[in-house]
Amino acid sequence: MSTGGATAKEGDRGSASDEAGGVTIDAKTAQRMEQDRRDKILVRRLKAGDERAFQELVQTYQNRVFGLVFRMIGNRQEAEDLAQDVFLTVYKAIGSYRGEGRFYTWLYRVASNTCKNRIKYLKGRHFNTRVDVDDNTEAQMPSREGGALHSLQSQVPGPEAMIQGQRLQRAIQRELANLDEEHRLLIVLRDIEGLPYADIMRITGLPAGTVKSRLHRARVALKERMKSYLR
Amino acid sequence: MAQSETNSAEELMTAYLDHEMDAEESEAFEAMFADSPETQEELSDLRQVLQLVQGLPEVEAPPDFFEKVAKKIRRRKLLDGEIPLFITVSFQVLSVMVVLVIAAVYTMIHLDRDPAAKLEKDPKAAVAEVEGDAEIRGEPGDEALPEGSPAPGAAPPGSSPPSSAD
Repeated sequence: MSTGGATAKEGDRGSASDEAGGVTIDAKTAQRMEQDRRDKILVRRLKAGDERAFQELVQTYQNRVFGLVFRMIGNRQEAEDLAQDVFLTVYKAIGSYRGEGRFYTWLYRVASNTCKNRIKYLKGRHFNTRVDVDDNTEAQMPSREGGALHSLQSQVPGPEAMIQGQRLQRAIQRELANLDEEHRLLIVLRDIEGLPYADIMRITGLPAGTVKSRLHRARVALKERMKSYLR
Repeated sequence: MAQSETNSAEELMTAYLDHEMDAEESEAFEAMFADSPETQEELSDLRQVLQLVQGLPEVEAPPDFFEKVAKKIRRRKLLDGEIPLFITVSFQVLSVMVVLVIAAVYTMIHLDRDPAAKLEKDPKAAVAEVEGDAEIRGEPGDEALPEGSPAPGAAPPGSSPPSSAD
């Protein structure tokens, strides 16, 4: 039996248990510490009323927050509006952030709560979650190192690889949007955003064991929905 | 008891797939399910799903994202009755505006404080004006000057004398 297939993604989002050399882990830790230090300064400045600090914070985290919200909601327009609301909340509630833990876990908590509330609201209004991953959307999505779309396409041999890859991508986003929001959040945080368990625990307020068991159930639920696309 | 065992198995499965186990634990886990084709298949399917999910491309916020956030904040402040701060005004625009305001105020103050400075600008014109008045009245220019008025070519009070004979 081969070893497991999931690894946290690159950058400061990787966990210390990644299959990386010691030097890489040190660099990641240093990068994370540097980011935390910068965040602390920005938060202090924002609390003192410095509007420029807010701008810097938004620009630092806008892609990550937008990505999280987009994967949770599945609709670009709705996600943009919601991501703006997240930062609006941050602006208003920054005084309540006491600086315990990393700033971004607090920001992600705000974002995930905002998403959950919106999902409940939309459910109440019978909003049809339109999965917003059409053929042209790829052009607006810069792929990661090596090409994320390429990595999807590479699983499908032959000249129809691109069409097949996009079909898979739409299917994942659609099935993700159909999952229970708690499950969706865990998959987005761990498998898409690549956050370490410790940070997921802080964001969700769940203990480690619960995070892992729920994550398993979430993955199994997604697997069941994706069954027709596998193999 | 059964529930906790299920949870434990799920936790193990997650830890295994996420490489959160050390080599010894991984080997023990693999040995546990070595003779269970269902579990092997389950793990294989889960790996495939994870691979697909992790292959999703990153999405980027639109380029004008911050401007939209700032607009929302400004609107919210207006609704709350607060005076909006200059959150959307860029530093450069604000700097230019400040410089222009200072320049305008300085100019206005300077002109109001010293009206005689207008004469200093063109003393020739001032002399011509005085002489013109005297001619109209048919009097010699020197005598036509009212008391306290500066002599032609003389410096106005509080200013330096003209440098040339004009």
